[in-house]
Amino acid sequence: MPDTAGRAEYIRPLQRLTRDDEPRFGGKSANLGELLAAEIPVPPGFAISTAAFRAFVRDAGLEGRIEGALARVTPGDLEAIATASHAISEAMRFAPVPDVVRVEVEQHYAQIGKAAGLDSPPVAVRSSAVGEDSAEATFAGQQETYLWVRGVQHVCDAVRDCWVSLFSPPAISYRARLDRAEEPPAMGVTVQLMVDAEVSGVMFTCNPVSGDPSMVAINASWGLGLAVVGGEVTPDDYLVSKVTGEVVREHVHSKDVEYVPDATGAGAVRVEVPDERRDVVCLDHTALARLIEVGKRIERHFGGHQDVEWAMARGGSGELFVVQARPVTGLAKKPENPKPASAMSLIMSTFGAGPPKG
Amino acid sequence: MATTAPKAGAFPSPYEIDTPAGCEGWEEMYPYYALFDERRREIDENRFWFWNSMHFPMPMPAFDVICIDSPYQAVGSWQNRVFAVPPAMGIDYRCVNGYIYISGNPVTDPAKIAERAEFFQKRAGYYFGNWSELYGKWRAKMEALIRELGELRVPDLPEYEPDEVAFGEDRNTAFYEVLDAYGRALRLGDLMWQHHFEFLLLGYGAYGTFVEFCKGHLPDIPDQHIAQMVAGIDVLLFRPDAELRRLARLAIETGVDPAFQQGRSPSEIDAELAETEAGKSWLEELEKVKDPWFNMATGDGLYHYYRSWLDDPSIPYAALIGHISALNAGERIDRPTEEIQRERDRLASEYGALLDDESRTSFNDLLNLSRTVFPYVEEHKFFCDYWFLTRWWNKIREFGALLERNGFLEDGEDVFQLSRYEVASSLDELVLTWATGGVALGPKHWPPIVARRKEILEKLGEWTPPPAIGVTPEAVTDPMTIMLWGVTTERVQEWARQQDGGSVLNGAAASPGVIEGPARVVRSVDQIGDVRDGEILVCGSTSPAWAPIFSKIKATVTDVGGVMSHAAIVAREYGLPAVVGTGRATAAIRTGQTIRVDGTEGTVTLLSAQGA
Repeated sequence: MPDTAGRAEYIRPLQRLTRDDEPRFGGKSANLGELLAAEIPVPPGFAISTAAFRAFVRDAGLEGRIEGALARVTPGDLEAIATASHAISEAMRFAPVPDVVRVEVEQHYAQIGKAAGLDSPPVAVRSSAVGEDSAEATFAGQQETYLWVRGVQHVCDAVRDCWVSLFSPPAISYRARLDRAEEPPAMGVTVQLMVDAEVSGVMFTCNPVSGDPSMVAINASWGLGLAVVGGEVTPDDYLVSKVTGEVVREHVHSKDVEYVPDATGAGAVRVEVPDERRDVVCLDHTALARLIEVGKRIERHFGGHQDVEWAMARGGSGELFVVQARPVTGLAKKPENPKPASAMSLIMSTFGAGPPKG
Repeated sequence: MATTAPKAGAFPSPYEIDTPAGCEGWEEMYPYYALFDERRREIDENRFWFWNSMHFPMPMPAFDVICIDSPYQAVGSWQNRVFAVPPAMGIDYRCVNGYIYISGNPVTDPAKIAERAEFFQKRAGYYFGNWSELYGKWRAKMEALIRELGELRVPDLPEYEPDEVAFGEDRNTAFYEVLDAYGRALRLGDLMWQHHFEFLLLGYGAYGTFVEFCKGHLPDIPDQHIAQMVAGIDVLLFRPDAELRRLARLAIETGVDPAFQQGRSPSEIDAELAETEAGKSWLEELEKVKDPWFNMATGDGLYHYYRSWLDDPSIPYAALIGHISALNAGERIDRPTEEIQRERDRLASEYGALLDDESRTSFNDLLNLSRTVFPYVEEHKFFCDYWFLTRWWNKIREFGALLERNGFLEDGEDVFQLSRYEVASSLDELVLTWATGGVALGPKHWPPIVARRKEILEKLGEWTPPPAIGVTPEAVTDPMTIMLWGVTTERVQEWARQQDGGSVLNGAAASPGVIEGPARVVRSVDQIGDVRDGEILVCGSTSPAWAPIFSKIKATVTDVGGVMSHAAIVAREYGLPAVVGTGRATAAIRTGQTIRVDGTEGTVTLLSAQGA
């Protein structure tokens, strides 16, 4: 996609993205741009376009190889899928990120460093899937996340690893099922300053279990969000009324592990939570109120229920950041909405004097 | 509702319940038709009966049975014969060891149900369509009825009839006047019960439909929010306490507040007030408030034990003491009505906004209808159960006094140990012997019977009735049982599981919050005075008339009650955690035992093994 200078656009700061950029930068990046426009606190960062991915494939001369490997894939043929995945991944892993892209990464990474006041700021590198893929991305195994990445070289490696994940066996299999096995896939990447989270978690702007639209459901645990998202810990569980802010349900669980930045300064490690902190509730009512307020604004901005990843920074401020938002899909259970009926006919049904409620 | 095949017994058979030792002959206190009789064993043993501890937490005195018969005659008439609620006729009751078990009569024939539906739609539709006008007429009817009761005179029996009887026209002799007055008193009671149930089913039904609609569309909505959206702002039931708050402020303004000291009885306080001019004018102000606002009962009025605040001012005086000390401590005691109004409208509009357009229309219509019916739902208790009934029991006491004066009873209060037929029969003999000058047998006949019955009632009071008897239904489908008593399929299954005991009781989460504290088990209203600050009230069911003591307690737990019970509404109003409908809290918990009440989850945990 050429920019005004006629050059393909590889990178753009998150704050300059809108939902219209989803086809070029992927859902995750576009949504973060929208959040920034709505003045939701989002850590600074930039988005890498699908054009960058295509440039990478083209420059490395992998087009034919990918096409060839995928041509032999049929849905359900797990062996063929594994073979194709292996062939493509191996080839990609040794191909360099194109210089034009690398230069831009360097510039924008430096911008993040400037904003954060750090020479070599820790960032999160995540895939940002495009089109129909975004909704199903989690299940299709295309949701790669690399935490606490530092230095341009490591960022570029992580970006390439995201691209590679596009050809993981589940991803190929998923596209094959959609009968899109042979289309050349593409993917964006999001690079964002890491929040050294004391507490982090996920928030749904509805109750995903009951479908109640008046509730916000929150899972929270110690450390970086990985433990909650990956289901490695039973998080504290809150249900809060959007209408009054009342905590309708609060279950505190024993949170035995957390992810923290590695002592070496690169990567995140899983550590045991000290005994005395495990059973401590990790969000107080003030923190919950801040989350609800942000959740309601996000929902209002997008006009639908959102699944939000958030983090609260370590240190006295406990500043709240949103690191991802996407529409809630496939509610486990919709509220049973009776067919629209007049108030009087509903009352008649209560007394068994009308059509049964359906 | 109990039409399902008999299921192996979680609950005891009504025919296999032992009479507690020393209570032999308890059956004589009750009508023949109120007993589990061998002649209809086959039917009665195969039905599901649950203990109506909401209305009848204590063993019934013989006279008070009228407050079972009349209400069930009335509710059945409206439900079955006027509105013809399609799947449910009326409610049968039976008495076991003095406790009252009830069971609905279902309609199962689809053709009958369809036929009844036509009646119901037409008649209920008329009531809903003209609610405010009909309810206005109802209030006028009730006020007239209460006036008539007040005017009913219970004559004495003079040695000689006055001259008017000899010389006047249309004069009656005292024998007739006494019998007529007794007959009138009973009929006025019946009339009250008839009025009581005229709107009740429809009112609760409309509100219940709104509750169900909210829970269908907003499954996690707290019950409290539903109640807040509907509840009246200017509810009559809150008036008595509002008047007490006003009087508390007046006491402080006029400097008479030091008279209101914790531990003083109402008469001690009155005596001190009477010593000063300011105190006297405060007492005059109090007199003005008493009618009608002191026509509150000290408990839900289905027993003669529940006197009104007029008869026993200890509840309002305790409340006055509390209000005055709160005011002197600088606390705000007013009910912030404007705030409540704003919050009620805000909740309604925000919840409405979360629904799609079509659902929002139903939501708003149901909400408006619920708000229309709610004044009745709240106020009928004041008119019927409190105001009328406390005065009616006093009218019966006048007959008791007449019998006492003539030696038939040792104490006028003993009149409640006789059934209404036995009272009629005593009065018959009394006026007969008054007329003939003969010797009455009553004074020899009744006192030993009364003494024996008091002894039986006391022993029956120590017996713990099972929450249900008969067969366990697969499902509770009777809309009235669910709506009025909160007895659902889940509740019955829970009761069945709990028959084995256990240290956690489950009920309905009626008012949110978690509290631990010492329990105070209260099985009758005369124990209410034992409640200490900071205790958790455990009772068969709470009455909104106990509301003033809600400021003393930390939480409340009941045996029976649903989301729509007044107790639940009052608990939420006071912000107290409440679990209702546990089935057996009064049996499982001892006074002094430490318990945890989780009003959010609906559980009660017994933390210490024994009470004090």
